[in-house]
Amino acid sequence: MNFLSKEALVEVKNLKTYFYTEEGVVKAVDGVDYEIYPGETLGIVGESGCGKSVTSLSIMRLVESPPGRIEAGEINFQGKDLTKLSEKEMRKIRGNDISMIFQEPMTSLNPVYTVGDQIMEAIMLHKGVDRKEARRQAVDMLQKVGIPLPEQRVDEYPHQLSGGMRQRVMIAMALSCDPQLLIADEPTTALDVTIQAQILELMNSLKESYGMSIMMITHDLGVIAEVSDRVAVMYAGKVVEYTDVDTLFEDPKHPYTWGLMNSIPKLDKDVDRLEAIPGSVPSPLNFPEGCKFNTRCPLAEGKCFDVEPPLENATEGHKVRCWRYKDLEKIKERGERIYEDRGVLD
Amino acid sequence: MAENLLEVKNLKKYFPVKAGVFKRTVAHVKAVDDISFAVEEGETLGLVGESGCGKSTTGRTILRLLEATEGKVIFDGKNVMDLDKKEMRAIRRDMQIIFQDPYASLNPRMTVADIVGEPLDIHNLAKNKQERNEKVKEILENVGLGEEYMNRYPHEFSGGQRQRIGVARALAVDPKLIIADEPVSALDVSVQAQVVNLLQDLQKEYGLTYLFIAHDLSVVKHISDRVAVMYLGKIVELTDKKELFKNPMHPYTQSLLSAIPEADPKKKKDRIVLEGDVPSPVDPPSGCRFHPRCPKAFEPCPVKEPEFKEYGDGHFAACHLLDK
Repeated sequence: MNFLSKEALVEVKNLKTYFYTEEGVVKAVDGVDYEIYPGETLGIVGESGCGKSVTSLSIMRLVESPPGRIEAGEINFQGKDLTKLSEKEMRKIRGNDISMIFQEPMTSLNPVYTVGDQIMEAIMLHKGVDRKEARRQAVDMLQKVGIPLPEQRVDEYPHQLSGGMRQRVMIAMALSCDPQLLIADEPTTALDVTIQAQILELMNSLKESYGMSIMMITHDLGVIAEVSDRVAVMYAGKVVEYTDVDTLFEDPKHPYTWGLMNSIPKLDKDVDRLEAIPGSVPSPLNFPEGCKFNTRCPLAEGKCFDVEPPLENATEGHKVRCWRYKDLEKIKERGERIYEDRGVLD
Repeated sequence: MAENLLEVKNLKKYFPVKAGVFKRTVAHVKAVDDISFAVEEGETLGLVGESGCGKSTTGRTILRLLEATEGKVIFDGKNVMDLDKKEMRAIRRDMQIIFQDPYASLNPRMTVADIVGEPLDIHNLAKNKQERNEKVKEILENVGLGEEYMNRYPHEFSGGQRQRIGVARALAVDPKLIIADEPVSALDVSVQAQVVNLLQDLQKEYGLTYLFIAHDLSVVKHISDRVAVMYLGKIVELTDKKELFKNPMHPYTQSLLSAIPEADPKKKKDRIVLEGDVPSPVDPPSGCRFHPRCPKAFEPCPVKEPEFKEYGDGHFAACHLLDK
């Protein structure tokens, strides 16, 4: 499907969200641009601290302030800039046009209310229907997300459900008002792999029947490959690579993306040694000058340490933030590894 | 063929469930329920399964961090279960463990030198302070941490570095067997590979034997020689890793393999999506424990427990289908 021919549902432009802490300014999101088109799944992938969750909280305007603040940028949604809306206007959008599900369903469900009450709250608030109708719709939603015996489950409390079931309840709640965008922040990370498969399958089928867009935030490239149409790879508060999912996996152009892909063992291919990216993610209080990946990048040289590269088109529709992506291509053509073996015992 | 360094025979670990005023035992959580396997010297045996399957309990029971309910653990020819406290302490020099959470498993009030040096003190492996320091320095170097880190505290390190400290502590006493309990699952993807590579390097260098416990099948496949799959306290399949991934026999293994999301968008897998959740180990299903979720279950499965036996060259499984 070609999503790009349509008008974007969400357009994030030069978004900057900073946190003002005692130790200094944490630039969690530092100039991020991306679009989400109607009916697509945009995957956001990155490691802890890359700013992937803060971007989504910024869209929902759920960044705690203080210490956090949306410093600059626009988030355009249906002709409105979400960064400029009042809290009252935002409340109409949250849970109605844009909903969100989180990693740990137990902490996002209220333990003292039945799951039915929690789903009904959103329905009554946004759709203005009475309790009886809301309950009918809640049962209906539980059925749609594959919860057995929904008439019975609707009166149960979160602790009576398993982890997979709780995540289904969260999804039912998020979809109860027909949102146009569902933000899923690591929705399967806390689940076992067989349950993860169930939830991903469910999300894919609901996306189709509801025609909504999904923003899938995860650290797991497997999940990204499974559900995304397009992908933004984030590192240290910035998007470093941005393209459709097939191109990304076939031809990763940023050394970080390349490293991520080769540092995970594959089920269908045997390697003696993984290509490990050296070092660890720099502290957001202390990002390096120039390219933020320069502390770990084997290709970094001169310019990389002084000037931050722009996110530019390497080919049409394939954006990369790297001064040396063409050199990476040559290395890849020669079939070499870019992350050398640095065994500590040699 | 190499000698078996570790043999686990009919190991059981039941946790009592207590209730009422008198805290009477009303039921048991059968976390590990009659499992047997062996680990050869120098090999890596992977132990995989989902949360609650008993894989971590198995690791801890082998080391007697938890007392087994029944069964034998034969390490280097001795039954570990029969040893008294003093003998146990001595044998722990040869069996070490690395934990999952590098944030919780290091004492925040101790310096790295003391964390790594403590096992040396316990086992009297250093004659004096100078020798201890030398040894600590050498061990830290082996895990890729420089001398300058010796006097720092755990909070000053990243997750990957902390896990290296955990590895260094295990390595300090020059063990034969290391039980690695989810050693990389708390780490960032790019750092996981560093620790996996380190564990492999150390194995080659010191001829270590690993029992590698994890839920991530792709990591287990990468590092292991053989793999055992656990479900609800039982081993359901055990074989050479190549064989397991090419020819999984047990329906649970098959669905587990098909459930892993692979980092390749072109590949559309025929996925066997399992219905329902893992049942409670307090009251496990009758017969084969997997039968309520098994897409291939037939008459004998709910009534008779399948025997764990060999189906061709070192490939063990427990499933009635295989006898059909």
